[in-house]
Amino acid sequence: MDSNKKYWKGLEELNNTPEFVEKSRHEFAEPIPIEDVLSGSGLSAKTPRRDFLKALGFGVGAVTLAACTPVPVHKSIPYLIKPEEVTPGIANFYVSSFEGQPILVKTREGRPIKIEGNPNDVLTKGGISAQGQAAVLDLYNSGRLQQPMLGGDGSLSEASWDALDTYVTNQLNAIKAGGKKIRIVASTVYSPSTLGVINDFIVAYPTAKLVNYDSISYTGIIKANENSFGKAVVPSYKFDKADIIVSFGADFLGSWISGEEHTLQYVSNRNAKSLEEKRMSRHIQFESGMSLTGTNADTRIATKASDEGAALLSLYKELTGTALPGTKEVEDKRVANAIKLVAGELKAAQGKALVVCGSNDIATQILVNAINSVLGSYGTTIDLDNPNKKFAGNDQEFADLIREINAGEVDALFFLNANPAYDYYKQKEFTDALAKVKLKVSFADQLDETASLSTAVAPNHHFLESWGDAEVVEGYYSIIQPAINPVYNTRQAETSLMKWSANAVADYYTYVQNTWANTIFPKVGVSGKKAWETLLQSGFVKVAPKAPGVYTFAKDLASVAQTIVSQSAKIKAGADQVELVLYQNNGIGDGKRANNPWLQEMPDPVSKVTWANYAAVAEKFGKETLKVEEGDVVEITANGYTIAVPVLFQPGQAQGTVSLALGYGRTKSGKVGDGVGANAYPFYNYANGTFQAVSVASVKANGEKDPLAQTQTHHSYEGRSVIREATFVEYKKNAGAGVSEGEHKKDYNAESLWDEHERPVYNWVMAIDLNACTGCGACVVACTAENNIPVVGKAEVRRRREMHWIRIDRYYSFNDKDATANAEHGHEGGNGALTKEKEINKAFEEGHDMDNVSVVHQPMLCQHCDHAPCETVCPVLATIHSSEGLNHMAYNRCVGTRYCANNCPFKVRRFNWFNYWNDSRFENYLQNDYTQLVLNPDVTTRFRGVMEKCSMCIQRIQSGKLKAKMEKRPLRDGEIKMACEQTCTANAIVFGNKNDPNSAVSKALASERTYYVLEELNIQPGIGYQSKIRNINEKELSA
Amino acid sequence: MRSISLILKQFSRSVLLIAGLAMMGSAAHAQGDAAKGKGIFTTSCASCHKLDKNGIGPALGPIVTSDTNDKWLTSWIHNSQALVAAGDPKAVAIYKQYNETPMPPFPQYSDADVADVLAYIRTGYAELQKPDNAQPPVVEEKGPSTMMVLGLALVVVLAFVIILVLNRVVGSLEKLVSKKDGTYTEQDELAAEVVKAERKAKVMALVMNKKFVFFVALVGFIVSFIWMWIALWRTNVHQGYQPVQPIKYSHELHAGVMKIDCQYCHSGAYKSKNASIPSLNVCMNCHNAVKTESPEIHKIYDALGYDPEKRTYDASKARPIQWVRIHNLPDLVYFNHSQHVKVGKIICQDCHGPVQTMKEVYQYSPLTMKWCIQCHRRTEVNTKGNAYYDKMFAVHEMIKKGEKVTAAAMGGLECGKCHY
Repeated sequence: MDSNKKYWKGLEELNNTPEFVEKSRHEFAEPIPIEDVLSGSGLSAKTPRRDFLKALGFGVGAVTLAACTPVPVHKSIPYLIKPEEVTPGIANFYVSSFEGQPILVKTREGRPIKIEGNPNDVLTKGGISAQGQAAVLDLYNSGRLQQPMLGGDGSLSEASWDALDTYVTNQLNAIKAGGKKIRIVASTVYSPSTLGVINDFIVAYPTAKLVNYDSISYTGIIKANENSFGKAVVPSYKFDKADIIVSFGADFLGSWISGEEHTLQYVSNRNAKSLEEKRMSRHIQFESGMSLTGTNADTRIATKASDEGAALLSLYKELTGTALPGTKEVEDKRVANAIKLVAGELKAAQGKALVVCGSNDIATQILVNAINSVLGSYGTTIDLDNPNKKFAGNDQEFADLIREINAGEVDALFFLNANPAYDYYKQKEFTDALAKVKLKVSFADQLDETASLSTAVAPNHHFLESWGDAEVVEGYYSIIQPAINPVYNTRQAETSLMKWSANAVADYYTYVQNTWANTIFPKVGVSGKKAWETLLQSGFVKVAPKAPGVYTFAKDLASVAQTIVSQSAKIKAGADQVELVLYQNNGIGDGKRANNPWLQEMPDPVSKVTWANYAAVAEKFGKETLKVEEGDVVEITANGYTIAVPVLFQPGQAQGTVSLALGYGRTKSGKVGDGVGANAYPFYNYANGTFQAVSVASVKANGEKDPLAQTQTHHSYEGRSVIREATFVEYKKNAGAGVSEGEHKKDYNAESLWDEHERPVYNWVMAIDLNACTGCGACVVACTAENNIPVVGKAEVRRRREMHWIRIDRYYSFNDKDATANAEHGHEGGNGALTKEKEINKAFEEGHDMDNVSVVHQPMLCQHCDHAPCETVCPVLATIHSSEGLNHMAYNRCVGTRYCANNCPFKVRRFNWFNYWNDSRFENYLQNDYTQLVLNPDVTTRFRGVMEKCSMCIQRIQSGKLKAKMEKRPLRDGEIKMACEQTCTANAIVFGNKNDPNSAVSKALASERTYYVLEELNIQPGIGYQSKIRNINEKELSA
Repeated sequence: MRSISLILKQFSRSVLLIAGLAMMGSAAHAQGDAAKGKGIFTTSCASCHKLDKNGIGPALGPIVTSDTNDKWLTSWIHNSQALVAAGDPKAVAIYKQYNETPMPPFPQYSDADVADVLAYIRTGYAELQKPDNAQPPVVEEKGPSTMMVLGLALVVVLAFVIILVLNRVVGSLEKLVSKKDGTYTEQDELAAEVVKAERKAKVMALVMNKKFVFFVALVGFIVSFIWMWIALWRTNVHQGYQPVQPIKYSHELHAGVMKIDCQYCHSGAYKSKNASIPSLNVCMNCHNAVKTESPEIHKIYDALGYDPEKRTYDASKARPIQWVRIHNLPDLVYFNHSQHVKVGKIICQDCHGPVQTMKEVYQYSPLTMKWCIQCHRRTEVNTKGNAYYDKMFAVHEMIKKGEKVTAAAMGGLECGKCHY
């Protein structure tokens, strides 16, 4: 049944707006002025023949003359003394870690060019997030501080390290003598060695103290656990142990605590292997804005933030039968019904259930603890004894710090990886207080918002230049080792702190070694030089985890319930008001990496918007209540602070709510991130001792327009059906459900236009499991890094000229029964496309529920068709088929007719409109001489006027084959990994040789769920997709 | 020029040395045979020591001359480390002085052999110290300067012009003389003019002859077309490119005469896409002892910031050597040396030509795509003994059919094999 479901990428497609129809008819986003140029005749023509000939003559002459320049002399400069481990042309890999996650750093000739997950990593098994992939680019940011800075407020100038050390030490000694307070403000420090250095510093300056300050805080969870169980920790959640997951606004696959770790756990109950075992977890999400996690939910209930408290209270009542004071049914009928259903399911899955909540409110989290305790989650799906150590920030502490400063008690402030001048909710209050502090030292590597207000800046190394360690989950220690010498005259923050506190240990490298030798190695029973050397190869050690204890909640909930009710009332929007919900998106996160062009250009996983944040509202609410259209700029006012952002109509957004991403609106992040979007941090509330992400705001249009650079409908299938899905119930009956039987078996090749290609040895193909893909977008950034894909910027994205070789198409579909009933006719090909568009339109007119949509993510890249339509139309044979089943693209043969892109049914070919890497117009995106050091030397950068597309990482295939040849052995399955495949924590992508029946990809493609997109065109794509399965409750279906 | 002076220096030194040794022959005999000692010195000592200069070890001349305790010296030579270990104060002092670099033991030499060596060192050093042994001042031989060459050319041109002018003058004078003599009449003058006019008419006839003009034009067109055709095909083909390199390194000497394996220096060819130009530490493997006086070798020392006297490196003075790249493949081609050298077992000379005979390297092959493809078409893949190919069903099929398994048959002509 579900193959008849209608899928649409955006409202413009659904509504079939005239602009959308017009745009999708044309090759270019902007009309080409051909008529204009060729109008008139004879000499009165706009372009007379004579002018044309003049220009032609001049052009030919100029080109000839230009070609006469002598060939430039190329210098070849060898090493003076070559390091033993470096062989030019061969990559070295070093283990390190990124934000506590073990990684491998690929270096070529001494420069890091790519970050991969460490395949042995316990938490992600080699996957890594988009942010991790992009972190390597920050190393080559030419805007980094190149010298230490010293000076008064607002007048920093370059200084020497000696001058800086003398200044800081003198000041510190004076402050120590005066007995005034010293505060080190840092994002949670989870490195044992850094903590050691800070503790040593505190010993040297007893008035010093570490203040953990997280821009995104989890204080609510920490305090709630302290209150409930006496353990002030962020627990480790075990999504793999849960048969049913209920999330209230927690984006646990994306930005919440440890997204990659959760993704691996989550997918292990939903991937091909678990489906074959007829096992699939069920995931229900209650949330106001559509989050990445929400798009993956089996059932998603759009819930107002203010209803969340009531929903949790009702759930508690349903589960225990005890109504806490203030419990009443949620006003929204759908939420109320869903809670009842969910409660039944949760009860049935006792001990295998997990309820999580994204709120930072202590009372709410205590209630969630109580619910989990009732469900028996502690010791099974929640582990309090091996907690996550990444977030230890205490919101109260920072508020106290400002009070202390204003009382004149603090004379010195140090900022380590913290930027409160940007991300503290009351910036003015903070900057005013800052002015009263004598010594302000920032370790920022850029002159960011806080550093520029400091009296001294001691620029820190990039993490790829540093030594260090991390303990991100209790007992899981990873090492950070440098992969390159410091590029600029920077110094590691720990070294600076050691110097200023006259540490007995000479340097931080020795300090790290001591920490491991004295405290970490004994825990795993190894020692000596050998242990250290092994560590530098393996990257981490793991202490055997403690057995997770079973905890029972036994506190009184009456006061908690009252707090929740009163807090919910506070965030309830009145007339002419909205509930403003702040969230982090998957690319930019909390904004610390806002200056990274790869992340800015990565389309948001849900909205597909690049280079901006926006006010996401439901279409109905936007049109009827706010009276705005998409792209209208609205002013959002709350807490006496106003910003102007464009409107986006987000299907699935709860009525009456506005979602706004944090991390944008940086003013001093660097040339990429400055002025992109607007800062949403000031909309935070401080209530009941924690920062809360929901507030009541007023929204009004200011009459301006700011079209979003949104990629969602840039590549249209004109309504052809490309998604297959089924419910878990149907799947259990018939594994091929949803993948239409007759169609799957149909021989489209009975009459063929094409010659068959021989693939005697290898047939490289790919399998993509739509049920495993969460749509996070890490593959997009990994591909960018691997294949030297240029960043084109907001204006070019608006012109549909983004260059990503892999995109993730996100399709919405309606959940209400009518939607499927209405559209009986499946994909018939031919004019089916047009009828379908009409049907979708009709469906909308009939008033489908825009709040209740479900989502499928489909990674789309060159399908390497065996009957490739692009190959047929290329007039110069620049794109041809290989004997290994790949569609080759010879850039140097391409003359740029773009016929191939027009004839490609998947729209995966990209045209180079500019010479992006060497055009001064694109230098803003860090495409300059220095940043070019990040380029992969095994892949050419493409020139203006050339078509490009996914090459199936042919450089990796070739080098994998060469390695096997050199080692005189057959190629092993799984040895060659695509960049997208390697980074995917969910393991949704499998690449391999189809000629080998035992290869992982052959097995994956043998699944009954496999289908090929547009196979009815007989183009024989090389990439097989496995259909999406939804674990939908039968009651829910019949309800 | 300096090299000539160096050769002279070395030559004169050895001549004088032999003369001196012959003179002192009988005197030295009592303590050891210096001539015998020289042989031992060259085989065992010279790689580290020199008579008058510090090498890896100290200059032996002054030490052995001032120290006459031959017994101690002998035991040092036999096993210096044993002396150091035994705590001999003198031995320990020397060991410390030379950065604790141990001298290898030479137990194979008898006391008499050692005496010979010591005798050689003493006599040889004494000879070197003699005042009349000082180097004869070498007159720097200077080649003709550019100014001189230009001046000469100017003189030649001037002389030519003068001859021409003088010829004309002589002709006019002759005319005048014959006019005066009356031998030159007006008829003669007319006749001369007629001859001139006839000559002109002939040329005019030729120019007006359409067939002839057409023929000339055709030939001109064909010649220029052929020239252009060749020139265009050769655009950006730099076969024979032989740039001047910053150091006069001779492949003929190293690879040809000395028979050093290519991969000793170009070690990347076996394992990487780059054959790689050797880093200077590879040069220093030999040249910290070999030809240390050559000015070309001194360029290496300068680049490294190396002081041959003190044998120390100063990284602050180091600056890389900028070789001029000869083989320039465009960026759009991916070429991997190891694929060809290690897997394909192709010898370097197949593409790089007879490098072992090249004083200065030039580009031997055209490096065009046609050239690559021709080779891929012809060359049979070396499948024997490589398990990678064993598992390839297709390869076996081809061998069974008796077809040649060429690189092309394995997909070696497909765009994506080299262009990505």
